[in-house]
Amino acid sequence: MEETTTPDGSIVDESEIEYVSYAGEHHLPLIMRLVDEELSEPYSIFTYRYFVYLWPNLSFLAFHKGKCIGTVVSKMGEHRNTFRGYIAMLVVLKPYRHKGIATELVTRSIKVMMESGCEEVTLEAEVTNKGALALYGRLGFIRAKRLFRYYLNGVDAFRLKLLFPHPELPPSHPYSHSNTVMSSVLESYEAHELGP
Amino acid sequence: MEENINNGVEEQESANHEPTSVPVLNPSIPSGEQTVWADVASLLDSACNDLQDGELIHGDNFNLFAAMSALEIMDPKMDSGIVCRYYSVDEAIEDGAAPIPLSLNKTVDVHCMIDVMDHMLSCEATWHKGHSLAQTIFSCIYLLRPDRTSSHALLHSYCTVIRSTCNAVISAVSDSRTHEEEDLFTITSGLPLKRDGDEKCLSMLNVIEETISRQLHACKSPSHKKRSIEDIEPLQTNLDLEEGYCKAVLCRLRFRKHFYHVLVCLRRPQGRGLELARKHIASCLVELDSILKTEEFLRANNRNGMWEDGMESEDSTTASGCQPIGFDSTLNSRLSAPTPPRAIKVFCWKKAVEYFQKLLHDLDIVCSHPIDPLHEGALRFVVEFQKLQPDLVARSHLQLLLVQDGKLFGRDPIFTMICKAAAVPELAKNLDIQKNESFVHLCQLAITLLKILCTNAAWQRRQLGKVLQDWRIIHMQLEIALRKEFEESSSTSLDENLCMKIYKNILNWVEEQTYWIAFRFLILGFELELYAPSEYCMVYWYIYVILIKLGEKMHLRMITNSETAKRKGKKKRESMKDVAREPAIPPAVLLLQCQIYLAEGLTLMISALRNEHGVFQCRGPFNSEQERFIQHFELLQKACIPDHVSYYTFRDYTAHSQFDTLIMCNYFKEAQRIAKELRGSFVNDKNKLTELRHIEQVAEHNGIALNLVSRLGSLDPSLKVSFEFNHHPHFATAVVKRS
Ligand SMILES: CC(C)(COP(=O)(O)OP(=O)(O)OC[C@H]1O[C@@H](n2cnc3c(N)ncnc32)[C@H](O)[C@@H]1OP(=O)(O)O)[C@@H](O)C(=O)NCCC(=O)NCCS
Repeated sequence: MEETTTPDGSIVDESEIEYVSYAGEHHLPLIMRLVDEELSEPYSIFTYRYFVYLWPNLSFLAFHKGKCIGTVVSKMGEHRNTFRGYIAMLVVLKPYRHKGIATELVTRSIKVMMESGCEEVTLEAEVTNKGALALYGRLGFIRAKRLFRYYLNGVDAFRLKLLFPHPELPPSHPYSHSNTVMSSVLESYEAHELGP
Repeated sequence: MEENINNGVEEQESANHEPTSVPVLNPSIPSGEQTVWADVASLLDSACNDLQDGELIHGDNFNLFAAMSALEIMDPKMDSGIVCRYYSVDEAIEDGAAPIPLSLNKTVDVHCMIDVMDHMLSCEATWHKGHSLAQTIFSCIYLLRPDRTSSHALLHSYCTVIRSTCNAVISAVSDSRTHEEEDLFTITSGLPLKRDGDEKCLSMLNVIEETISRQLHACKSPSHKKRSIEDIEPLQTNLDLEEGYCKAVLCRLRFRKHFYHVLVCLRRPQGRGLELARKHIASCLVELDSILKTEEFLRANNRNGMWEDGMESEDSTTASGCQPIGFDSTLNSRLSAPTPPRAIKVFCWKKAVEYFQKLLHDLDIVCSHPIDPLHEGALRFVVEFQKLQPDLVARSHLQLLLVQDGKLFGRDPIFTMICKAAAVPELAKNLDIQKNESFVHLCQLAITLLKILCTNAAWQRRQLGKVLQDWRIIHMQLEIALRKEFEESSSTSLDENLCMKIYKNILNWVEEQTYWIAFRFLILGFELELYAPSEYCMVYWYIYVILIKLGEKMHLRMITNSETAKRKGKKKRESMKDVAREPAIPPAVLLLQCQIYLAEGLTLMISALRNEHGVFQCRGPFNSEQERFIQHFELLQKACIPDHVSYYTFRDYTAHSQFDTLIMCNYFKEAQRIAKELRGSFVNDKNKLTELRHIEQVAEHNGIALNLVSRLGSLDPSLKVSFEFNHHPHFATAVVKRS
């Protein structure tokens, strides 16, 4: 146990990190322990089971020398006429942060969502969680809304969203510069005066 | 996956299968039409034996919400029913947690009473700031058993005024209720909030105030040491402390009295109580100052031996630093079920006083608003008011003042207000037109808009986004109605002419409102921190496009307005000439022009940075900038605000911007110049002057940054540009640094 719990950051070689998709009941306590330790919201065992049993292919665990040091838990489904993915929990143990582990975990989950036909991915994050916000920002998530006192602890949240490219979007169409709205109010005022 | 957790056993089914083995469990609860009560213990037992680890028996409707609502019993993070100290209020009382009197020693009793008052104030502020009533004010055991206190006049009257105040605040917030996010505030289920006799709270308070001020007077008179005034019994027994205690109690009582008056006055119809409310607000603030001044006295006497310790002053919820008697926040946590109890930290006393000072200042501003029936004035007032970041209670009162009985200030029908705003000729108000369905709808939209503007910024932005569509639709409907009217009523020519004018003006006004809402929607995104720096470019571009439209509509309205005004004053012949000559552009439009230049300048500067320096680009592994654009502006695009604008318009507009062309037509310089010139036009408008000053600062700094980057940028790759909002809440200032 000793040799894996006290890395000062440089010791962990990224190639030693192993990523696996959720593979059964033996993974559940590992996930629960990580999330319980690091996230503010309390989740019952039903919540965990809800996710990992219905969407085991969207949950991933990261191991270092046999120790579980990070996890992502997600789901997907119909929501108001769109098929969307939802990232419920993401945690990496402190000594293992800033190595791209969370990015890798989330990326794997999002890829499965995309391949399964999701149109978008959403999640909520505390407005104060700079690390998570930066991470998701780099992945292309936008902050779609602010949710006032969303969490039990009274903190606001952002609803983050990632929209996948839509194959049916019209291709770039030429819009000549002369057509764009470039005039100032002063000019449009004149235009108005010249009119009938 | 579904089979894994659904082991095929459901309680409901089993009940149906074995209707015969019925030990009646609870006959008082009817079992429903096609069902009967059954004991499922044995069935569950055998089901348990069949269950593998991780399997779950559930109904079809077991979804995320059901999973999240499930509790783990005895986990303090989730189980709000967990017993903390006492099982019940009665048990707490029996255990002596809330004695009456608070102490048999009169001095200690008064001291404790003051602690109760102070802690209550801390609880009240905590409640206003978004925690549940049950876990804050009603953590007070005395309040939970209102009849117990009647033998203690001071405690009793204090509890009564607290209850009445809570009721007044709750009714204001729930009457102005626009959304569920703040519902927690008004949840009162199971709390003894109303008690017969509470309506007499002010007279009770007056009686006790009278008594104590006589006691104060008596102890101050030189003869009191000789105890010559037999008919006045002192507040407590230590005569050296009598004056201090009388004063400490009095200012606390008086604060409650005036605060209650404020709440009552604010609710008078048509703003008739506002002047009086302001007087009580001033008194409240005076009493709060007095309360603050009693801290020293109370602390000194606390240290002098009644309680040894006390928490450090910074965290204390009382002036004296003592823990108050008679509170237990865990007693009520069950009331929050099934949601888990929220973590709660009661405000410290100092912060509570500060909260009330801020609330009172905000309410004072609400009261100071002139009751004039101008729609634009009302909108501008709300927007300015929101800049102070008022809390829920103040915002609710503003909304109740603005919209009463569907009228502005409860007086002016919204239709009249719209006619005025849209510069519709006076005559129109009598016309049947306002019975037209579209106009009725329009009036509702205008009211909704006012209400939305009074809500918290997060909710406000979402609602503004939603109503944009409605404003677009009403515009279409009005256009159709206009055409119909035109076709049908070609008989009476004078009326028809007037009708056309009304429609045209109102159509223009509707569009102006729409663009104004869109603008506000976009800039609130800055306040809420919804935009990443790499998205600023598209956001400023969109703001720029919207502002141009807004400027057009606003200008058109102003021209029409001055035409109408002139026509009234002068003969027709002259007015035609005047319009043609009209040289001056109204200052309000010029101010908008400054903002347009800023938005345009920022768009082009950032896109030049993107094109030439490769920074501020939206790149991600899964999507492109186009998807971000679609998501941010989805609601605007859906409502065609404005028409003919898409991601491609933005891309083409910014694709070729470069510093050397940008420097030739420096938008920032223009903005700065106009802003300077405009100062004279707004000498009496403090808010506009502030805005102008901020615009000038942003323009100046960005102008300098632009020059710097365009001169050195390509030579010095270590130059880094970032954006800050230190001069203006939504127009960014470029900061250039060498990294
Ligand atoms: C948020 C959280 C999951 C991030 O985990 P992480 O593994 O450190 O995340 P990543 O390493 O993928 O990315 C984070 C940072 O590492 C940096 N990074 C990524 N790969 C790197 C590498 N190879 N070398 C150095 N730094 C790297 C990233 O640039 C990023 O930098 P920043 O933090 O300065 O913005 C983690 O902090 C956590 O568990 N927090 C508590 C739980 C939580 O908040 N979860 C999110 C709820 S929505």
